[in-house]
Amino acid sequence: MQFNKRSLITLGVLALIVIASYYFFTRKGITYIWHWEKIPEMLFYHGSKSAEDAVPRLRMGVLMMGFILTLKISVASIFFAIIIGTIVGICRLSKEPVTKGLAMAYVELIRNTPLLVQIYIIYFFVGSMLRLSAFTAGTAALAIFAGAYVGEIVRAGIQSIHKGQMEASRSLGMTYAKAMRHIILPQAFKRIIPPLAGQFISLVKDSSLVSVIALADLMFQGQQAVARTYYAFEIYFTVAALYLVMTFALSMATQYIERRLAISD
Amino acid sequence: MIEARNVYKTFKTPDRREVKALVDFSTSIEKGEVVVIIGPSGSGKSTFLRCLNQLEEIDSGEIIIDGVDIYGKKVDINEVREEIGMVFQSFNLFPHKTVLENVILAQIIVRGRKKSEAIDIARGLLRKVGILEKENVYPSQLSGGQQQRVAIARALAMHPKIMMFDEATSALDPEMIGEVLDVMKTLAREGMTMVVVTHEMGFAREVSDRVVFMDGGQIVEEGTAEHFFSNPTHDRTKLFLSQIL
Repeated sequence: MQFNKRSLITLGVLALIVIASYYFFTRKGITYIWHWEKIPEMLFYHGSKSAEDAVPRLRMGVLMMGFILTLKISVASIFFAIIIGTIVGICRLSKEPVTKGLAMAYVELIRNTPLLVQIYIIYFFVGSMLRLSAFTAGTAALAIFAGAYVGEIVRAGIQSIHKGQMEASRSLGMTYAKAMRHIILPQAFKRIIPPLAGQFISLVKDSSLVSVIALADLMFQGQQAVARTYYAFEIYFTVAALYLVMTFALSMATQYIERRLAISD
Repeated sequence: MIEARNVYKTFKTPDRREVKALVDFSTSIEKGEVVVIIGPSGSGKSTFLRCLNQLEEIDSGEIIIDGVDIYGKKVDINEVREEIGMVFQSFNLFPHKTVLENVILAQIIVRGRKKSEAIDIARGLLRKVGILEKENVYPSQLSGGQQQRVAIARALAMHPKIMMFDEATSALDPEMIGEVLDVMKTLAREGMTMVVVTHEMGFAREVSDRVVFMDGGQIVEEGTAEHFFSNPTHDRTKLFLSQIL
């Protein structure tokens, strides 16, 4: 890819359209006084928190606290989604009808109902039976949801590996489990990194739905801050940017892993 | 060493037709014997090999290897497979592992050898198949002939009692067939028990103790290579030989 005259013209035209439309719409639309200066203190501020904790020092603002919680939920649910997905993916390929049937039922049930409904069910129904915290319930709901998709991705990955690989492994005396672990899964995972990355990026964004069970994630903190200050535009732009930081980092990380694993190609 | 008795094997095609791959198939192979199986495609040669280590399951009959009925209820097929090396037409090296890792993996996780011991054995075998200098490269960087030699080393590293070759040279460019056949000939001369499905008549003539001609899932004719190529008795055999020689 090389920039040339044509790419410059394209960029120029696009910039003109954006600038023109901004002036066009703001001229006839609302007058809004931007308060971007209020945003930094929602990320970090220097000061004391309360009477008990009065020592002035650098502290995290509400949006940064939300960012950290969203990060924790995302990492935890990605971790469990990989485990669930791998198990489900292998079970889907089982010749044993009950194992295969259960895995299929799980995938269909979870994929075909809305995540928001699942979060409510897991938090209010399962959560109150098992006394789960909102964090555990939220993480569980996200992991179970993503696990169904990851399961199908893993299944497709395993099926894409030439059957000669399994035959060669078994002919050397490896059990099915050893062949899976040492030969099939490592090759399958390498192949499914791109669709997995897409799935995990979706998961990070879907994690904003856990704000409905009063988990103080990035989305929840943003909504609260808007309710308090009415700086809706600035705060939602900032929230979006913070989600972008996470998802973009995830994109970069998977591309790095992909390049690393490409050595044997 | 190997005894097959009245083996039947039928495949179902996706459109539910039945293909008889082995029909009342019986043969026996002695220790140290080199048996070459030839025949037209679909005659059941590869199926027989694959039934010997249960990559395919037989419908009925018995296969006894080293005194063990491998389809017996209490038999751990993985233990049987450790003793039978198999070399495939499509090599089937593990692409995510280097040459050396390919050869040591099963030694460590199946045979339970120490890594250092496995590496010593692997290096010895890689030297034997003439490819030691490539131990740290990945299979994709090797030619077909080199890959197949690594695959042979990988199978030999388990110290099997029997080696099976399923059209091991059929996927190779002509100039690479020789290097793989040379390794196989060396093995044969060392007294390895070998079952070889091949179209290489030169190999059959040079090192085999017995040639088996199969068609329609059955043995049509068998005998020494000399008998086979100089005066075959069966019409079907004559026709086949006239087509390939």
